[in-house]
Amino acid sequence: MTAFLPLVLHALAYGSILALAAQGEVIAERAGVINLGVEGLMALGAVMAVLAADASLSPWLGCLAALITGSAGALVLGLATVNGSANQTLCGVALTFLGLGLSAVLGHAVAGLPVSAIFGSWSVPGLSRLPGIGPVFIQSPFVYLAFIILPITCHCLLFRTRLGLSLRAVGENPAAADAVGIPVRRYRLWAVVTGGALAGLAGADMTLSVMPVWSEGMIAGRGWIAVALVIFCGYRPVFAAASALLFGLVMSLSFFGQAQGWPIAPAVLNMTPYLGTIMFMILPALVLPGMRRLMAAPAALGIPYFREER
Amino acid sequence: MSRRTRLAVVPARRIMIGRALALCAVAVVLAIVLVLLGLPLGMVCGLVLKSTFGTVFGLENLALYMTPLLMTGAAVWLALRAGLWNIGAEGQFLAGATAAAAVGLFAPLPAPVALPVAMLASLVAGGAWSAVPAAGRAWLGVSEIITTLLLNFIATYLVYYLVTGPWADHVTDAQVSSQRMMLALPSVYSVVHWGGPVALALVVALGALLKRSRFGYELSLCGSNPDSARYAGIRVAPRLFTALVASGALAGLGGMMEVLGTVHRLQGGLAHGYGYLGIVVALLARQSAYALIPAAFLMAVILNTGIVLQTLQVSASSVLAITGLLVFAVAVSDELAAYVRLETKS
Repeated sequence: MTAFLPLVLHALAYGSILALAAQGEVIAERAGVINLGVEGLMALGAVMAVLAADASLSPWLGCLAALITGSAGALVLGLATVNGSANQTLCGVALTFLGLGLSAVLGHAVAGLPVSAIFGSWSVPGLSRLPGIGPVFIQSPFVYLAFIILPITCHCLLFRTRLGLSLRAVGENPAAADAVGIPVRRYRLWAVVTGGALAGLAGADMTLSVMPVWSEGMIAGRGWIAVALVIFCGYRPVFAAASALLFGLVMSLSFFGQAQGWPIAPAVLNMTPYLGTIMFMILPALVLPGMRRLMAAPAALGIPYFREER
Repeated sequence: MSRRTRLAVVPARRIMIGRALALCAVAVVLAIVLVLLGLPLGMVCGLVLKSTFGTVFGLENLALYMTPLLMTGAAVWLALRAGLWNIGAEGQFLAGATAAAAVGLFAPLPAPVALPVAMLASLVAGGAWSAVPAAGRAWLGVSEIITTLLLNFIATYLVYYLVTGPWADHVTDAQVSSQRMMLALPSVYSVVHWGGPVALALVVALGALLKRSRFGYELSLCGSNPDSARYAGIRVAPRLFTALVASGALAGLGGMMEVLGTVHRLQGGLAHGYGYLGIVVALLARQSAYALIPAAFLMAVILNTGIVLQTLQVSASSVLAITGLLVFAVAVSDELAAYVRLETKS
């Protein structure tokens, strides 16, 4: 058990990044907007968190900067795709390019330097003193947010409130939602912005907690994996957090394997998260075709809504 | 009274005007950013123009950039005709380059034999690299956007592994690189190799294939309306599969041209973002394969601009940001171009 403890701790830390981004994307996609700019928003969030934390010496302000950056980026995307009904795939990919490029330019000066203010670990009173598994309960605030607070909040919001019902209606059948008086575009815009804020936060999680240094290319496809997770988890926030943990585990395997000197080339270990994601996208569709209805995407996902075409 | 309405089919002229405005908007934003960075605008513009069009070196560079851009652009464009997003041209490009490099490094064949073999190997490798996403999309409905993209990372790690491990250069001390290969594409003029003309010919052939052949017609039908294609008795899934695999093969061939024509070594940063820029080229070209040529030219100019900016201490990734901005502006302008003012008699 103790041998695998580092693995679990790693999985929680790395999983929290994916969990934040994936749950944000669940909200956006439930409202019918697919945000493929997560990767770019994460990069922007990560670099802005570093810049703000360095300037203010407060990780909280770093976090706030990442939140604002993520929301602002997503707002641009939302205005273009929801209000302007531009192509969501294209705009998302464009946002990824823009985010990755801009973050590299902005972070040029701080690349490779340690971040001056980062989040420490918070321990759960009592539980953290348990023999053996105690360290599992000493985590950065992001981990608690990603795996406890956010799944519960998102789940209740989406499936237990009128707001959530309206949000899902907008993603399933915007014409019907419009007919009962739900402002379709406003809901979609806010869903995208919320998702973007969480993507920015996921970036802050990376640079202010998990690996406290900015370097170009550090997001390394995690945003895309988060988008893939949303499909894998069937657009459910709780499952999203759970599958993020699973992928955190897959990611930490590569570190763990290298540290333990497994006889596998590091390059191969580095590939495992990506291979794993592809496998997890294809296998369920192959083995459990009956699951497809249960895990289906919102019916209007990716389709702009025109009132005139109702 | 006047109100706006959205056209189902947008006239090309409206699109072009919209895009010209989008391009201007991007240029203005870029200018503002440069001024904010404290760079003298006139000097930068002059430098870009001079180093791109004013020197033989710049023109050669343009030709060398255009070749892979044409190939990846054609790859993304072909998939797009079938309604598929191939975001993985970067990985397929690397796969093709790796296969070609394997032939160049290890096959003791005379060039006239080795070049076709390398070409074939790169086509197969590129196609194989997109086969899994293609099958997943065609028969299981798994989003090809994400699967093709994730394979880029795997290709990058694969190349990195090869050129730092088994294929590493032990002769000179080049880092993250294989040995320099003897096998090379013949040159047209100084460093400009035959890949360029071949790419141009391929693009023209691709345009003819899609426009004139039954396969092309069926493919476009599957892309624009899969339901009606099915209704017309076309089996959609195999066509989607073929389109994405062929798309991968084209990108792979681009990789072969790059590695055997331009770089002559398998290297870490070989793909240089060509796969992603191919998306932009394909987007700019819209329905016409021939329009890939000016689109690739524009992107080559932007890449060259990036080099100039890099000499001015702006991060090399600024090209990526400019590209993102351009795609965004074009996507929005294409949509806005569809809206016309409707004059109604009161």
